[in-house]
Amino acid sequence: MKIFVVLPAYNEEKTIEKVLKDLIDIGFEIVVVDDGSVDGTFSIVNRIIMEKKTGLLCRHIINRGLGAALKTGIEVALMEDPDIIVTFDADGQHDPKDILKVSKPIINDEADVVIGMRNFKEMPSSKKIGNRIMNFITLFFYGINVNDSQSGLRAFNRKAAETIIINARDYGVSSEIIGEIKRHNLRLIEVPIKTIYTNYSIKKGTNTNEGLKILAKLIMNILK
Amino acid sequence: MIELYQIIAIIVSIIVLILSILRFRDGKMSLGMLMVWIVIWLIIIIISIYPNDTNYLASYTGIGRGLDFVLIIGLILSFYLIFKMYNKMEVIEEELTDLIRELAIQNKNTDNKDKMEDKVDLDNKTE
Repeated sequence: MKIFVVLPAYNEEKTIEKVLKDLIDIGFEIVVVDDGSVDGTFSIVNRIIMEKKTGLLCRHIINRGLGAALKTGIEVALMEDPDIIVTFDADGQHDPKDILKVSKPIINDEADVVIGMRNFKEMPSSKKIGNRIMNFITLFFYGINVNDSQSGLRAFNRKAAETIIINARDYGVSSEIIGEIKRHNLRLIEVPIKTIYTNYSIKKGTNTNEGLKILAKLIMNILK
Repeated sequence: MIELYQIIAIIVSIIVLILSILRFRDGKMSLGMLMVWIVIWLIIIIISIYPNDTNYLASYTGIGRGLDFVLIIGLILSFYLIFKMYNKMEVIEEELTDLIRELAIQNKNTDNKDKMEDKVDLDNKTE
């Protein structure tokens, strides 16, 4: 089983080193997409890849958003003949052990896509509201009800990774992926995962503000 | 009797018309867009010279006064243009993303050596 972990990273110099080293030490194949970071993210990842002599690094010379970074990462991973592609946040909120957890239903051929769902009870309220809004939006616009639509930890089997077409450039991508799962009738399973909340990871990602922005964007998409 | 606003409108229209034609000659505007602008500004000139004639159009469409008719049409046209521009921008954003992604994929693990921070120097990166 060849498991490729795709790490989209935008200005993650504080966390990327530990995340990346942990993943490489466990033995995963790595694809890092530096999405136009203006801090040291690129050189840190570059150094680790040289040291460990494994891993792929792509760099968007201009920041294009989470969706674009995931698309690049998945495309690069697909060139390496993977069995499973896992997306993983670079901000250190995921537990590397959960990668096996989300991969398991795919290994057992029970699912094409697995989403790691975070425990909303443990979630800080600033993020809970944003995530609830996004779950509702995903239900409203794509007609599919999931427990955690915005989770960054997902696993795809090869077929799913090849079928899903990502168009959204920003955070709307998480909902779009779920929409694509439904459109192509892929089998989806949600698995509970651990989330490591630090002050750093709370500031980033889906909060109320981001949720509202995504809502505006989705409405624009309909009007087009 | 010619009012001041008519003179101003005519002068502005002529200036913009000339600018449009100059931009077209420089290859910065497409022929189609030039035609659209010429028509729009010619209409504005005509309305400025014969403002009362818009009353026909107004009564024909059921909109009270001539000037109201002109304003409403102007608003609708402006919104349409904004919409067009928004779509065009989205297309450009998408093309830019495709370009950036393609560059990133082609250059994967090749810019490992030097010039890590040098974003401008793209040409020399591929080997």
